[in-house]
Amino acid sequence: MSVLLALPAVPLVRMRMAVAWAAALAFGLAAVAVVRVATATLPARAPLAELAYYPSGQALRPASLGHAETAADLAWLRAVQYYGEHRQTDVRFVQLEHVFNVLTSLAPRFEGPYVFGAFALAQEGHDFPAAHRLMLKGIAANPRSGRLAFEFGFLNFVRPGGRDLKQAAEWFELAARLPDGPPNARRFAAFARQHAGDLAVALLLWDEVRRTSTNPLMRDMAEREMTRLQNAIRTGRGESAMRRLTTPVVILK
Amino acid sequence: MNALLIAQNTFREAVRDRVLAGILIGGLVLMALTRVGSVLAMGEDLRLTVDLGLSSISLLGLLVILLVGTSLVAKEIERKTIFNLLSRPLPRPVYLIGKWAGLTGALALVALVLGTALALLVTALGSPQHIPAIAQATYLAVLELSLLTSLAVLFSALSTPVLSALYTLGMFLAGQWCDDLRRLAVKLPAGAREVLATIADVLPNLPLFNMRSLAAAGDVTGLAHLGLATGYAVLYCACALALASAAFESRDFK
Repeated sequence: MSVLLALPAVPLVRMRMAVAWAAALAFGLAAVAVVRVATATLPARAPLAELAYYPSGQALRPASLGHAETAADLAWLRAVQYYGEHRQTDVRFVQLEHVFNVLTSLAPRFEGPYVFGAFALAQEGHDFPAAHRLMLKGIAANPRSGRLAFEFGFLNFVRPGGRDLKQAAEWFELAARLPDGPPNARRFAAFARQHAGDLAVALLLWDEVRRTSTNPLMRDMAEREMTRLQNAIRTGRGESAMRRLTTPVVILK
Repeated sequence: MNALLIAQNTFREAVRDRVLAGILIGGLVLMALTRVGSVLAMGEDLRLTVDLGLSSISLLGLLVILLVGTSLVAKEIERKTIFNLLSRPLPRPVYLIGKWAGLTGALALVALVLGTALALLVTALGSPQHIPAIAQATYLAVLELSLLTSLAVLFSALSTPVLSALYTLGMFLAGQWCDDLRRLAVKLPAGAREVLATIADVLPNLPLFNMRSLAAAGDVTGLAHLGLATGYAVLYCACALALASAAFESRDFK
């Protein structure tokens, strides 16, 4: 038996192997060519379109088998990718609220997504009610968070379509009373109470975001707004920045 | 002819395997369970049924490949039944092709049963207009499974069943990210871009076989998509089987 099963004559084996390798190479190259044609000709899917199929966070939580925080971390990575992809392409954020709802349901104490999601929804998704809902959800889940109270005040301060200074001041004041509220929250509350649309206040608020945020996208947003405000203050043409503050829409291409 | 005989034998063996029967029953139970879950779907129960049904065809098929396909060749070597086959005038590539074709046939049968069950369920729910989309999605799932089977045969010819299963699973996961890799490659500097694009080319481009999001909405895909997917699957399978043959030719069973 072993004689029969031994390898055939070496040159014959080599020849068969060479033929097999050549066939593999030819088929492989042809397959690559086909997939390149497919990639170039078939309609491209919307970036991260699968996010529409995320089940609700409440349903996903038990399915994560005790690893809800890890699942939230992965969802957070996808959410940031989704935001980045759409900011660079169609500037449409159809699934943004859904995605942030999923991940904040998975990890209700994960504060970053509330803030980032709310500002992205309001400023670039033009959906202030959704941003409002997301922040209120965060505050309900984290009632002792001074950071969320402060950011909610700021969100009202730059509310698209018209700032809500009264709301902003109330949330700044609450942030100032909470243990981890930013130390200058009270000052912002006072500014909001006293001034309606002061460019200097806006500059301070954005600077606060730039210095304290750990999110580079948020810091970028703050820096852009600061540059715009500084130009307006320096040139004395405040009306454009004022209009900007009244309808703070950030569209980036 | 010899390949056909081996394919028939592998098909018969796979169909008689309890794993296949268990997975088939599991798939049917899963589809029935989507009706229970539909209560919570807030009006999206049809989409849930179609989406989960099609996903179950793909994922349960993968499970069959991991449990059965990756030990196709190794089991024969372990039982020494391969000696009886290879001592005959049977070219080794023919043996591998037969094994691949037999298991692909069994997987196609599973997909056909589950796809038909899904189509019947959707018809019972009053949406027979989804049937063409389900048929197309099932066909693409069979192509995807045949491609993964060819990889399982390749790894099975090279390695142990456990390692083959891990390699096949790894290729499945990496293959699902091909589109993401291509998108990422575009944003990288020149050298890294070429490397990543090449990796994306070599990996099985599995998103090409995924039309579940279309089917869930009842939409069908174009003939160009079906044609390209078929051509790609045929060529990729041929490439993987040729590599398996090259590896298998050099194996000594003394």
